[in-house]
Amino acid sequence: MPSVRAMQSVVEFDNVGLRYGTGSETLTDLTFKLYPGSFYFLTGASGAGKTSLLKLLYLAHRPSRGAIQMFGEDAVTLPRDRLPGFRRRIGVVFQDFRLVEHLSTFDNIALPLRISGIQEKDIKGPVTEMLNWIGLAERAEARPATLSGGEQQRVAIARAVIGRPEVLVADEPTGNVDPEMAKRLLQLFAALNKLGTTIVVATHDIHLLQEIEGSQMMRLDKGRLSDPTGSLKNPPKPLILKS
Amino acid sequence: MLLDFALPDHERKLIPEGRVSGSMPWVIAIMTFLTVLAAAAGLVLANAALQGGADLARQVTVQIIEPDPAARTAQRDTVANMLRSEAGVTEVAPVPDARVRELLSPWLGSDVIDAEIPVPSLIDITLDEPANESVLTALAAKIRKLAPSAKLDSQASWMAPFSNLMNSLLLLTGGILLLLLLATATSVMIAIRSALNTHRETIEIMHMMGGTDLQAARLFQRRMALDALFGGVVGFILASAIIWLLSLQFSAAGTSLLTGASMPWYGWIILALIPLAVMGLAMLIARRTVISALKKIL
Repeated sequence: MPSVRAMQSVVEFDNVGLRYGTGSETLTDLTFKLYPGSFYFLTGASGAGKTSLLKLLYLAHRPSRGAIQMFGEDAVTLPRDRLPGFRRRIGVVFQDFRLVEHLSTFDNIALPLRISGIQEKDIKGPVTEMLNWIGLAERAEARPATLSGGEQQRVAIARAVIGRPEVLVADEPTGNVDPEMAKRLLQLFAALNKLGTTIVVATHDIHLLQEIEGSQMMRLDKGRLSDPTGSLKNPPKPLILKS
Repeated sequence: MLLDFALPDHERKLIPEGRVSGSMPWVIAIMTFLTVLAAAAGLVLANAALQGGADLARQVTVQIIEPDPAARTAQRDTVANMLRSEAGVTEVAPVPDARVRELLSPWLGSDVIDAEIPVPSLIDITLDEPANESVLTALAAKIRKLAPSAKLDSQASWMAPFSNLMNSLLLLTGGILLLLLLATATSVMIAIRSALNTHRETIEIMHMMGGTDLQAARLFQRRMALDALFGGVVGFILASAIIWLLSLQFSAAGTSLLTGASMPWYGWIILALIPLAVMGLAMLIARRTVISALKKIL
């Protein structure tokens, strides 16, 4: 993607490390760039640091060392009162969904729009459309506790994409849905990606790479990007997929 | 800040509708009840001190100490006539000799007074303004021209210890009010911290989606305001009922002992403002507690 390479990166990590408390580093020497409109799969074994890296991407943590540039600004020293503005540009699908228990399906999906101060008259249409798209229009008033794991996951994804974020970060977004729904959700991601959203999907299932044309793979191994330059510069090779 | 009370419906739903804490409205009701009673006591005391003090501060007694009874009576009448035409003197009341003897008889015995002790002649005068040193000096000078042995006693002089007592009681009432407000603020802080823990997950999700500390604070302060308003109104109604019952008992006890010990009309307005003040305080504390707690997380 030479045209993408010429663009300014939306996220840039430079020698980033993350340590929880006084333990050893969970993430070590991460250096990479994410470009607008690109689609990345983040893979690696359990405990490799995928979720920690995603937390850095959605600004839930600050790194212990190194520099992170997001949307052209230093995200490490970003004042706390500017974080909300940055976070509104990032959509997140949490591994454990993190739906708000007392809110209905409709209200959970509408949450990012309401937080951003969108008028109520402009919320119903997009949320209803999204409910139809994920096949949960009938369950608009249902509380998360009454939804199945797969349904909750779809609500979590709908909530993450409803605000058309510039960066979408998803932690195992297809882990609890059947293959058909997984395909539909990936199509949703792809559609969003075509509109310019940079997407990072953490997954164990490297076969998903086949579903998204032009997607790239970032592989984490014990907190390090195993091929921090090669894997990001080139589209995934069939060889990687076979592994 | 008070405008945040009127949050749009969809924002209210971000944390569950209902009270911040089950017992919070009742804690605030008790605090408001005690605050209203303490404030009412303070207002009654202040009113009594103001009314009694103002009346007594205008009272002056002239003593004519003349051994010759005929001269004493003549001087008393002359002084009384002079005072009646004096500017600034609104009332002149010579005290009959019989009344003076009656007042002294419990200490000296009536037989002794009549036979051996000459009692002074007294004139009670009321000024149009509280007596001050210069007014008293000028008045004394005029009186002594007619009655050289005359002496002036301002009631304010013996009122001083009473005023000091009143001031001490008022300070004590003010201290109690402050302690009650402090206790209310602390209760609100504890309740809000507990509510924050309960809703931590929701607040974190809101944060990750770009919610601001202020958005979260507004949710909690609105709920606290509702609790405080409910508790405040209940506490105010109960305290008002007690004050009303006490005022009936005061009236029945007679007014001579409790002159001025009544609630001034503006007192009820001040008392009615207490629930609103408690609500405002609760909202402010809730807002500050939430913002301060959220600053500790990214």
